[in-house]
Amino acid sequence: MGAGIAWKRRSGRASKPVTVMYCMGSGLGFVLGSVSAAQADNKALGQFLASECTTCHQLSGESTGGIPPITGWPKSQFIAVLRSYRAKERDNEVMQTIAGRLSDDEIAALAAFFEDLGKK
Amino acid sequence: MGRLTRRTFLQSSAAVAGAAAFSAVPAIGQAKPRVVVIGGGAGGTTAAKYIARDSKGAIDVTLVEPLKRYQTCFHSNLYLGGYRSYDSITHGYEKLTSAYGVKMNHQWASAIDRDKKQVVLADGSRLSYDRLVVSPGIALKYDSVPGWGKEHEVAMPHAWLPGEQTQILKKRLDAVPDGGVIVMIAPPNPFRCPPGPYERVSMMAHALKAAGKSKSKIIVIDPKENFSKQGLFQEGWEKYYKGMVEWLGPKVHDGLKSVDPKTNTVVTGFETYKAALVNVIPAQTAGTIAIDAKLTNAGGFCPIDAASMKSTVDPNIYVLGDASIAGDMPKSGFSANSQAKVAALMIRGELIKAETFPARYANTCWSLIETDDAVKVGGRYEAKDGKIAATETFVSKTGESADLRKATQAENMGWYAGISADMFG
Repeated sequence: MGAGIAWKRRSGRASKPVTVMYCMGSGLGFVLGSVSAAQADNKALGQFLASECTTCHQLSGESTGGIPPITGWPKSQFIAVLRSYRAKERDNEVMQTIAGRLSDDEIAALAAFFEDLGKK
Repeated sequence: MGRLTRRTFLQSSAAVAGAAAFSAVPAIGQAKPRVVVIGGGAGGTTAAKYIARDSKGAIDVTLVEPLKRYQTCFHSNLYLGGYRSYDSITHGYEKLTSAYGVKMNHQWASAIDRDKKQVVLADGSRLSYDRLVVSPGIALKYDSVPGWGKEHEVAMPHAWLPGEQTQILKKRLDAVPDGGVIVMIAPPNPFRCPPGPYERVSMMAHALKAAGKSKSKIIVIDPKENFSKQGLFQEGWEKYYKGMVEWLGPKVHDGLKSVDPKTNTVVTGFETYKAALVNVIPAQTAGTIAIDAKLTNAGGFCPIDAASMKSTVDPNIYVLGDASIAGDMPKSGFSANSQAKVAALMIRGELIKAETFPARYANTCWSLIETDDAVKVGGRYEAKDGKIAATETFVSKTGESADLRKATQAENMGWYAGISADMFG
């Protein structure tokens, strides 16, 4: 695989800073690609998967208590954070459990959905 | 990439075969397909909103719920403990109509006419449906506690259905004198909100302690050998409410013999208690309408297809939340909300050919033990071998740091705001 990319979490997003390393795998390749048909298809998937997030995270981007906002994040950051939960590097059990069954494609679909939402 | 390309291809194929596929879709071309939802709790409200919102007006959605103002069961214990106001657990349905076009019908749904595919309302009128979502919550088995019945629910409140009962229990709790005894009759499995009775014990103990009534005592008469998050609760009771909470399992109390609402007396095989307050949480079944419509099995709850939440009894009906037999998922607001999203997707798939994906479910139940000390249990679930099975679970641990427990409570409060916005916003 290609060179690892280090992503530094922006401040104020989550409970503690984390640096995530991952490779230029197929998931990232897909996100950066411009496959419009696949992206349209991905929208329905992203919308369904996102419904799992919105039991806690508000679609409006508002935030209350210990649940951070997740709209409008750059896709790359969203992907890095979810992969980090999936790998159990970040330590919230709810997020580890939710992210644990997400494939790279599904994480990408979610990242696109919530990034778009932040633009509205 | 390969998978996505294949799916795109399948979608195009579906479009080409559109005419043939649409012939199987009810009512398209003549009128909008109609969905009726019974019950404005976490399951029904979420389903109504998601079907209406995501079909963008292509499906006619009616939510039948007698209450105009709804109190959530979740966080009602925090109201008992003095952490939340009654207003803050009260919600209205206005936005479901204004933002998503859900038609509200504030009546009691009295029956389901499955042959005619109609819901009969309290005023005798009928609502026709192509698909029906049944999310009535639980019904209490008033005959499950000897000596107690519906006529005694003010004298010995249950507060296990949302609304006024919670206020009655709060008032009675606040009136318990220092040194007074509270007896909780805990329910047998299966019941709504498995950690709920024990979070309630914690919140009642907190309220007593905060009012300087530490000589008071809460005795739990439990028909179960063990309960949800038992080690965590018992650790908390020992730490914060020493001498105030006594949990008695069936081997110790030797069975609940009777209660007397006139004298506030509780008799077990072990002892007779004269209480200042008795909180009876009886055995439960699916909401009465589901039983009357014969959607339940011998156990009193509704079997469903794990991959869709569709009733195994009637292909036009979906059952959500506490009324359903959801395998490893507990009966919780979070579960109902999660199940509603799967059902909403499948219903849109059936009625307007929306693209569907395999069902996935999740749940987390947070419980507050004392100020800034909350614990959680949860997991994710999938359809497996004909039932909803847990694929990964987690639970807080005893001896966790104060910082972690405080963060868990912050999460609990954030979740409440999140699920409220998801249902009503």
